[in-house]
Order: sequence, then structure tokens, then C-alpha cells
Amino acid sequence: MTKPRLIPCLLLKNGLIVRSERFRVHQNIGNPVSTVSRLCNWNVDELVVLDIGTGDTHDRRREDHGVRYKGDSTTDVLGYIAEVCFMPLAFGGRIRSLDDMRARLAAGADKCVINTLAVHEPGFVSRAAREFGSQCVVISIDTLRHEDGRLEVFTERGRVPTGMAPTDWAKRVEDLGAGEIFLNSIDRDGTGRGYDLDLIRGVADAVAIPVIACGGVQTYEDFAPGILEGGASAVSAANIFNFFELSYPRAKKACLDTGLDMREVGLNSRWFPREPFYDREREDALIAERLERAGKGLGPTRVMERRPLTRFCARCVYSSASASYMEFDEDGVCMGCRTAENKVEITPRVWKERLARLQEIAEWARCRDGSRHDCVIGVSGGKDSYFQAHVIKNDLGLNPLLVTYYGNNYTEAGHRNLYRMKEVFGCDHVVVYPSVETLEKLNRLGFIVMGDMNWHAHLGIATTPMKVACERGIPLVIWGEHGEMDLSGQFSMSDFIEFTYRNRLEHEGRSFEWNYFVGREGLKASDMAIWQYPSDDDMFRVGLRGIYLANYVYWEANDHLKMVVEKYGFEQSDEPFDRTYRRGSNLDDMHENGVHDYLKFIKFGYGRCSDHATKDIRAGLLSRGQAVDLVRKHDHVKPRDLGRWLDYVGMTEKEFDAIANTFRDPRVWSRDDSGAWQKDNVWD
Amino acid sequence: MLAIVDMRISNLRSVYNALRRVGVEAVLTSDPKVVGKADAIILPGVGAFANAIDYLRLTGLRDVLLQRAGRDGVPLLGICLGMQLLADISEEYGETAGLGLIPGRVVRLESTSADYRVPNIGWYETRPRPKSVLFKGLKAQPAFYFVHSYQFVCADPAHVAATIQFDSRPASAAVERDNVFGVQFHPERSQDHGLDLLESFARHVVETGQLNRVRRAV
Repeated sequence: MTKPRLIPCLLLKNGLIVRSERFRVHQNIGNPVSTVSRLCNWNVDELVVLDIGTGDTHDRRREDHGVRYKGDSTTDVLGYIAEVCFMPLAFGGRIRSLDDMRARLAAGADKCVINTLAVHEPGFVSRAAREFGSQCVVISIDTLRHEDGRLEVFTERGRVPTGMAPTDWAKRVEDLGAGEIFLNSIDRDGTGRGYDLDLIRGVADAVAIPVIACGGVQTYEDFAPGILEGGASAVSAANIFNFFELSYPRAKKACLDTGLDMREVGLNSRWFPREPFYDREREDALIAERLERAGKGLGPTRVMERRPLTRFCARCVYSSASASYMEFDEDGVCMGCRTAENKVEITPRVWKERLARLQEIAEWARCRDGSRHDCVIGVSGGKDSYFQAHVIKNDLGLNPLLVTYYGNNYTEAGHRNLYRMKEVFGCDHVVVYPSVETLEKLNRLGFIVMGDMNWHAHLGIATTPMKVACERGIPLVIWGEHGEMDLSGQFSMSDFIEFTYRNRLEHEGRSFEWNYFVGREGLKASDMAIWQYPSDDDMFRVGLRGIYLANYVYWEANDHLKMVVEKYGFEQSDEPFDRTYRRGSNLDDMHENGVHDYLKFIKFGYGRCSDHATKDIRAGLLSRGQAVDLVRKHDHVKPRDLGRWLDYVGMTEKEFDAIANTFRDPRVWSRDDSGAWQKDNVWD
Repeated sequence: MLAIVDMRISNLRSVYNALRRVGVEAVLTSDPKVVGKADAIILPGVGAFANAIDYLRLTGLRDVLLQRAGRDGVPLLGICLGMQLLADISEEYGETAGLGLIPGRVVRLESTSADYRVPNIGWYETRPRPKSVLFKGLKAQPAFYFVHSYQFVCADPAHVAATIQFDSRPASAAVERDNVFGVQFHPERSQDHGLDLLESFARHVVETGQLNRVRRAV
């Protein structure tokens, strides 16, 4: 018999992969090509990609991102997905004609997923099956279970009721020539309540063609019942595959453990290595082009005919051009504010349940024989590090190993804070300090390649704790908060998102992996060992998980600061920063709040002050008016630490400015007739 | 040079991309002159047998394939419909003559059980013949992705390189006869095992001295 399949489903919206909840709420998760590449590392059985965007234009945002391709139509994006996809690919969304199908099949899809059109024009199903074969025609059925238990088929992404029962509609499309049914449950989507097994059983019994079940999966154990009890031929889910490390192999293992005869867990693929391949010639040409433009005083390589109007959140000061992909709801409120709202609405009783979940994980990780530490905490020595150590050591009673990536740019107060930790918490501490020569090179290269001298720090911080944990057989790394979840509401509080390689590479590294730098400025692979993430095999063997404490205990940075100053003698910065009003953040790197952050302003038109002001609006500490005044004062300031950085890497300010200008995002900046850079402002 | 024969009936980019991954730079072509000069040929295809044969005959590709693979000993790999085209005759919508490079008939898959459906779509474990060239070095019973309604029944069982179990009977998953190979499944969509198999084909081509020029540094 054919093997039951486990199928990740990706939702593509206007160029980015999104998370979905009840078909209504969509948060941006990341680039489709990096997402599909990651799935390909794991020998995935099949892939479903549904384009739920509103138009044919796909904007991947962020000009400084390492995954670059030409063209922005649906078929362009599909073509690039197909290039890294070596499993069967079903592609759906906005198919209106046989020509649309033909274009998608030609761009690399093996099957087309059709939904609304089939309901409006059932004859299309027959025509499509005749033209391309029924194996090409997957009919997607979105169902809603009404409160009285009645099931109804909906179209238009769950918006329009049809009056049809799913079993009747399934039989009808089978008669019309459909090859497969993709059965989704609207009321379970993104809720993590498990599959609607009655729905699946009903449809699977009604037809002879394979049924792919989707909607409601929360844990790896939720998949197998879709086949064993629901009678589906394949089980699918979207969100879960975006939330956890090794999600697919771990889900596969959970299915195999029930005795299902699926394909084996495929790790460390021979042909699809996890680390991206960089076309050296192409990358060299891109760098040369950038430097040439900088030399001539030209701006960014990409020019937009007309700069789009920047949209600002109605509550905070974030914009549609924010560095972490921003999405707004119908009221013009950003997903970051919505997530913060959800966090505040969590009741003390629910926080207690969350803490119990954390305690359960702590017990799972606790070492019984003293042969290793219980967990790793990645610490910069900042206020959040202190708070994490406080909770983990003192509240949970674990024996953590503190692990630090030391990027050579600590502020004096930050350095003292870091080395105080092992004393005030009585913990062991591993500090990983790369060679300064390598750091100088990576500062320079990071700036030239992606307009960010702190690539080394982002990736170093995201790699070192996981690597040290894996090497020592410690199965748990505890992080603080998930940056993008906090800032732009990339995930929901109900997701219990964990640390992943994909998120590290795409968001911390912007798709520039350590091997990108090998061979540049004489750097060898061995020079980059600190930035090399543990292999999938090693993580799978150790059972490594990286959890975020902010999912389990209430997280408010201002409260942390107060507590750790009083209780543990945490020091704030000796002097104020130029680019933000806070003095207790980012003390581990003198450029993080300075020239690094200035580049964020050059690229996206805002800086750390907007980040801090947004957090403080959400915490109820600032009014929007006060926040806007602060932003106006700080966001544009060219900071004093620039001089130190230029000395560090051997560059002039003129060279710096010229290269920086090539990174101006055309969505944010345009030039007026006099050549001055202009953007939309939150106070306009 | 390795030529992928483009019959203008299906997307071949996935085959091209898969070959690139295993280190072979191929040429997509429907030009009989280019195919005639190729050191190895891949014949992929999805769709109807008769249409494909008509296309090959009308373009002159049929004669080139018979000359090169049939007489000159150039390695040829048929994929899916491309494998079925190697047979003498297909029973798909009446009888149609194939290329006749491997003796046998293409007949409809028959199933008597609800567990086996036609078209047969999905992942199957295959059972390779011990001395198969294509399966050399692969894991014992590799699984591949199949999409088909017809199967190739070899006149000489020795030409069957691998089988799957379909409705309690074996059905051919791969065929081999000297320099001519065929796989019913889609190696380009079968992840690691699929690419391993394409690599086996490429290695065979190199080992038999046909393809020194096509191999890039892996």
C-alpha cells in the first residue's frame, strides 16, 4: 500500500509565509524559499503551498536579505520555491482558469489545489482533470462546524457559506474527476484543538480518492489519529511546522511510534544540506556593484517607481516598513500590539498553568546523576539575563550553565554586569570569545554585505548556547523573549514558539550563514567554528529544545530592570545613549544602540528609540504623543560611537556614509529634487 | 553533454534541477540534432502515451533515440511515461507502438481492493534486483514517489530492475537492459533516494566512458 503521508502546508501571503488563525489573523513568518529549503533538509513526503494573498505581487521586503530573486509574480515565487523543492509540490490559491493551472504546473507545481472556483464552476474540475489528469487536481474543502454541530462548506478563504455538506461536496468533486481532497477545518485552524476526526471520517468514508486532513494540530501526537481514526490518507498542518525545531522529523517520529508505516525520519540529507549554497561569482558581483555605487555616491540598487506610503500603527510607533515583517489588522493596529494585548489579557490562573508547563519541561531536563548541567541559559549579562537566571536558578531550582558569546564590544557597565552573574547566582559560566582579528573582519564584511556590522553578534548569540548545550548533552536551552514575537507579533502567545535554525538563519542572519564568509578576507571554515550551529542529527539525538521564558512567565522588561537592580546590583549605563532614552538595554555591545542601530534608521527609517517607545506604549508607560516626541528626538541621530567603530575596522566616515546609503530601502526612502533623502514620519 | 528530451508536454525543470544537485549540467532540448550528439539521454514525461509517441515521430526524435540508444549504446533513462515509451506496445486507449527498446507491453494497473487505487499516487518501498545498476549503492528498499495508471510488463523478467507490491502482485518500478534504463517513479521528486538514483545513472554513464564531458565538479 502507499505510505500514509505527513504534509507540511505553507501559507503564502503577498510574498511571505504567514501563520494563520481561524482564517482571519495572519502574521508574517518569513521567506518562502528559506522555509521550503529547510523542509527539504528533512525528506518531507510532500508539500502544499497555498497562496492566500490578495494580489499577484509578492513583496519579500528587506533589501538586505540574503535570499534574493528577480520577479514578484505568483509564478516567479513558485519558480524559486520549485528550485529548492525535491518533493511533490501542490500549489493553490487564486486559480481562475486552465491557463492559471498551466502556468503553475509550468513553474514547477506537480498538482494544483482548487477551492472557490470549483464551487462556482463545478465543470471546471472535469475540464482540469481531462486537460492535466486527475492526479493534478486537488480540491480543497474548507468546512465550518456550526455551534449546533452542523458542518458546512465555505469558500473565499472561509468567508462565504455555500449551504453544502462536506460529504456531499466531496462525492460530487470525486465524480467530476478530482484526484485528491484537501480537507480543512475553519473553526480549528490555528487553535491547536486537534483534528475534527468526525469530519475527516465522514469525508474519507464518502469518497474513494485520498483525503488530506488539515486544521487544528497542536502537538506531534495529534497527527496519527487523523489516519488511524479519521481514515485520511495524509495528514497536514501549517503552523506547527513553523514553530519548533526539527518539527517535521519529530512529528514523523511520533507517527512512526504509533506503528504507522510511513517513510522513515530523514535527517542530514546528503543532497540538501542545511547550510545554504552561495554562488560565489554572483555574490562577488553583488558586492562589487554595491561598492561601485557607493564610490559614485549613488543610492540603493533597487529603485521603486513610486515610493509607497508608509503606514504606521494606530497604537504604537511601528511602521509597515519595520525590520521585522509587520502586519496590520482591520483597525490599523499592528500584530505586535495585538500580541501584547493578548499577553495582558492572560489571567493569573492561566499564567499558573503556563508556569506548570515550564515546571514540567524543567523536570524533563533535570539531570538525575549530576553528569551535566540541567539547562543552558544564553546570557549577555543584561537585565533579561539576570531575570532568566533568577527564575531558572531560584524559582525552578535548576542548575543552569550560563553561556555567553563575547563580541569584544561590551560597555564597561555591561562587562561588569556579565561577570557579576556567576557570583550573585552561584552558577557556572562559559564565555566564548572569538579571535579579535576574526571579529574585525566580520564587522567589516557584515557592514559591506548586509549593512550590519553586528551579524557576528546576532549569529554568535543565537548559536553559542545551542552549540554548547548540544556538545555537553544538555537537552534544554532557555531563552528570554522571542524578539519578533514581541516587536511585531510574529507568533501568538498560544503557539509556545521555540528556537529554530530557520528563524536563526533568516531573522538573526538574514540568510547569511557562516559559510558565506569563508574565503573572504582570508577567513577559513575553522575561523568560523563559533558560528557553526549543531547538526540536525546531534540535536535530534540530544533532543535539544530552545524554549522562550516569556511564553511561561509574565515578561515586562521595565519590571525586570527594577528587580535586578534592587536584588542583584545590576548596573545601568554610566552615560546616556545618543539614540534612545533607555539606559538599561543593550549594554553588551557599545554599537548595538549606536552605529548598528543608526544603520537600521538608514535602512528602514527608524531606530532603537522607536523599539523602546513601542514597548513602553504597550506596557502603558508612555502615551503615543510622548513616544512620538522621543522618536523625533532620537531616531535620526548619528551616534558618537561611530568614530570607535571606524577605527576598529579601518574605514573613513565618508566611505561609511556612501556604503550605508546603498542600503536605503526604496519602500522607505526617496530623494527630492535637491538629492536629499526623504521619508514618511510618524509625526506627519 | 546530457540531454533531457523536452516533449513539450510537461514541466522538466524539476528533472533539470535534480540533475544539477547531483552535479550534472544537463541541456533541455527538443532538437533531434542536439539529442543526436548527446553522451547520455533522459526521457521524462507525464501524460498520454500516444501523444508522446506522435510527438517523437513527427519531430524525428524517435529515429534519433533508436539510433543512439538502440544502436550506438548511449545510456538512456526514461522516467514515468518516458519509461513506458521504451516498451514495444502500450494498451493505453487502444494499442500504440512504443520505441521497442525493452521488450514488453504497457498495460493498465488493475486493483481489486479499496486499498489500491488507480491512478496509483504516493510513496512505495521498492524491491530492487540484486545486480541492478541504478540501485547500486542505494539503501535496501528505498521508497519513491509514484504517479501512474499503467505499468510496464517486461517480456523478459530479467529486464525488471525493481518492483513494488501493488494489490498483492508485483508491478515493475524500474527496468534495465544494457544501456537502456527506465523508472516508473519520479526520482526528481523522491528526495534523497531519488537523487541517489540519478547519481547512480550519472556514475554509470561516466564509468562506461560515455559522459566524461558532462560531469561538473560536485
